Amino acid sequence: MMTTPEKPTGIAAASLFAAALSLLTLAASHLLAGYSEAAKTWVHAWGKAWMPGAQGIGPYSGKETLMLVVWIGSWILLHRWLKKREVNLTLAGILFLAAIGVATTLLWPPVTEAVLHLVKPSP
Amino acid sequence: MPEPKRMENEGDTARPLGWMVGMLAVVGLIVSLGTAPLSGLLGESRYALEGALHGVSAGLFMVTATIGLFQGYRLLAGNIQRVAQLEFGAAVNAFLAFLTILFGNRIYIFYQAKGAPRTYFLENMPEIHKIFFEFKEFMALFTLPLAVTAAYLFWVYRDQILRSRPLRTVSAILLALTFFYFLVAFVLGAAITKLRSI
Repeated sequence: MMTTPEKPTGIAAASLFAAALSLLTLAASHLLAGYSEAAKTWVHAWGKAWMPGAQGIGPYSGKETLMLVVWIGSWILLHRWLKKREVNLTLAGILFLAAIGVATTLLWPPVTEAVLHLVKPSP
Repeated sequence: MPEPKRMENEGDTARPLGWMVGMLAVVGLIVSLGTAPLSGLLGESRYALEGALHGVSAGLFMVTATIGLFQGYRLLAGNIQRVAQLEFGAAVNAFLAFLTILFGNRIYIFYQAKGAPRTYFLENMPEIHKIFFEFKEFMALFTLPLAVTAAYLFWVYRDQILRSRPLRTVSAILLALTFFYFLVAFVLGAAITKLRSI
């Protein structure tokens, strides 16, 4: 009887890392938009480039767009790099959870404000 | 006592049930479209349809995300015999995550419009907007990569997942996180709607 060969775990790791990067990008773009008016305009421009109703949605449309671009782009690249490799999935899972934890924490508004307070130049 | 005969294919028994539910839904839809005051059910807002679609997709997503959480538990406990049992549900879960975000984007425009709930919250309860709404909108976005990645792993690895403890764990965690992040967004969304709907 023919058995199907086991698929490398690199495929799973690539998808996990891409998802983690997309969520970190979401958090980073939210911080960036809060940093200055110029940065907010730049983030919003990503949404306005393609999303219907982006003007009404505001910079949130750009944050969604950046998240999608990084998610799909990094998934393609990571998949090409890792698809034939065996990756320690336990370690990949831990890194994934850590990234999600960081992204969630950075998006919690009191933390976002505290970070921006630290990095923003004083007027 | 003779043992009851096992069904050879569970799909054969599920199909008539699916047809029956489908036919009842079609009949119900036709009757209600022709006779019921549906506009009253949706509300009088200009954005009632978009709001209803967002609510319906979120309601359905709550069902599939909850099933996903349970299936993740079964997967970890070793109670799943074939990953094919999970593939379709995980794909529907991912699709509903996408639809909920899509319709959510539409009503976000109305939420931010002049005189809309955002203005009301900023004038009367600024913390509600700054903390709960802003956080909710991001947590909702988390569900898409999580649900899509779970569905992708089932589709790529199939029954190999059953033989690999790390793959099983990662898949179950993805389903659990999808449920968790959606629950946060759903509860905050419901609370905000209760305070001030579009």
